[in-house]
Amino acid sequence: MGDRSLSKTRRLALMAVLTAIALGIFMLEAQLPSPVPIPGVKLGLANIITLTAMLILGRREAGVILLLRIVMGAMFAGSPSTLIFSAMGGVFAYLCMCLLTRFIPEERLWATSAVSAVAHNAGQLLASILVLRTPGLLVYAPVLAVSGVITGVFTGVAAKYLVRALRRLRL
Amino acid sequence: MRMMDRRTKIWILVLVVFCALCAGAFLILRGIGGDGTVAVISVDGEELDRIDLSRVKESYDIEIDTGYGRNVVHVEPGAISVTEADCPDKICVAMGRLQGSGIPIICMPHHLIIAIEGDGIDG
Repeated sequence: MGDRSLSKTRRLALMAVLTAIALGIFMLEAQLPSPVPIPGVKLGLANIITLTAMLILGRREAGVILLLRIVMGAMFAGSPSTLIFSAMGGVFAYLCMCLLTRFIPEERLWATSAVSAVAHNAGQLLASILVLRTPGLLVYAPVLAVSGVITGVFTGVAAKYLVRALRRLRL
Repeated sequence: MRMMDRRTKIWILVLVVFCALCAGAFLILRGIGGDGTVAVISVDGEELDRIDLSRVKESYDIEIDTGYGRNVVHVEPGAISVTEADCPDKICVAMGRLQGSGIPIICMPHHLIIAIEGDGIDG
């Protein structure tokens, strides 16, 4: 996992750049009107960066980038009251990615990404059910699951090409 | 295009079947709500208001300050909706009117839920 030949300084610089890009994408997406008016349904384009970081840099680095993006994203674009929802989603998706990238080859990154996106939405829904104490929100589960599959496949394909392009650059 | 290998086909099949099951689950879950008429407005699980929509004769607005932000809820005979919100995404406003059974309106940033209470489901 990750390319160990990168020097420490290069890794750090790449981490910083990827964090900035992830945050930028996240904030840009927050400005777009939601295509489907259902809470929790979104493209999740910033996950392209989390996946890419995991393949290029490694699990730990991807985790740090994800954490920074979630916290700063809530500070800059969202509201602190939604931090708990996105954090829970982020943790679920991250664990899923860590596990699946071991078994699923890079060629099928879209599958890893789809399952992780579903895990993200599951985590987010679980957090909402716990915080809002409304089990009835479970009605949202199937909608969020399907949306996760669709957006996940898309971000996974995008991440695959980004990883290829970055490898070709020989950073 | 290259031929798809077996594992790719299996993954596609798994995801398609999963989506189909979800569609089925959604239809079933939505049916459970029944056709209740009582709208319950709650913040962080605490009930703020309970309105029997079948008894509403004239439309009116309620302003709610959840502590996280402000929402204006529009109550009309048989339906309820959020018409204004000072949250960043305004998804609750975009969700439109809720009547009979249907998926609850949520304003995530304000921790606000508006659900129609059915017979079986805890809402």
